[in-house]
Amino acid sequence: MSNDLDDPLRKALRPVDPSEGFAERVMARIEATPPAQSRRWLPLRSRGLPLALAASAVLVAILIHLWQVDRERRGLEARRQLIEALHVTGEKLDLVYQSVRRESSPASSDDAGA
Amino acid sequence: MRMLTLKSIVALALLGLLPCERVMAADPRLVLPDLRSLEAKASEVVSINLDSALLGLAAGFLDERKPEDAAAKELVSGLKGVFVRSFTFDTDFAYPRADIDAVRRQLTAPGWQRLVEVRSLKAHSECEVYISMDGNRANGLVIIASEPRELTLVNIVGSIDLQKLHRLEGRFGIPDLRLEDGPRAGK
Repeated sequence: MSNDLDDPLRKALRPVDPSEGFAERVMARIEATPPAQSRRWLPLRSRGLPLALAASAVLVAILIHLWQVDRERRGLEARRQLIEALHVTGEKLDLVYQSVRRESSPASSDDAGA
Repeated sequence: MRMLTLKSIVALALLGLLPCERVMAADPRLVLPDLRSLEAKASEVVSINLDSALLGLAAGFLDERKPEDAAAKELVSGLKGVFVRSFTFDTDFAYPRADIDAVRRQLTAPGWQRLVEVRSLKAHSECEVYISMDGNRANGLVIIASEPRELTLVNIVGSIDLQKLHRLEGRFGIPDLRLEDGPRAGK
């Protein structure tokens, strides 16, 4: 039973030399195949869109950050100027107040007039 | 028809009065003279231009947990502009009097009234406080302070709540001006 199965298998799997011109036919088929680059063109294109979107998102994030930094810089500068303006105003009002108070006190001897 | 005509006449009369009211109200924003020439002579210059947009921006950066900032924020809420020019010089009277007179001339417009004038002959110093009233509400404040080596112009534009200014007493060096009763001194 075993020999009955082995013999046909051995016969079928025996080494066989390639036919005449086999190598040439294989080489001709390889040369005839279109280059792989043209096949990759579509995947590259489809990968470009997410890349562009990601770059745009990063750019927008950077611009928003720069805008926030600039706004904070201007806000802090405006705050500093406001405090300084209130200081100057307060200083001058204090000058007026001191003069008026000096003038209204009975022992006043200054020449200030209000 | 007669009623309609009467209404039209009243409406036209009211419309005609509106521009008069506008003419009567003083512009609380002064045209400050070009003082750039003084900047070269001055040893110290303070030039502040805060319009309503910048005031809003500044208010956003005031920390309400700090009493000074909270008081300033409350005061600023009704303001439209804060303009300050202050020059300190190394020599006496380096600034032209004409610049001060140009500001004073604008304050002769109806609506402005001088609240206080302090003049010291000995110290050659002068300080005037003007206020612009729109009805019962102050909508402009001007301070002109001149000393031999210092010139300061302050113009605050907007709804100035004197009570709020009063509440700033003790902060920023603002003294108690007894403003509860409103302005008492006039021209």
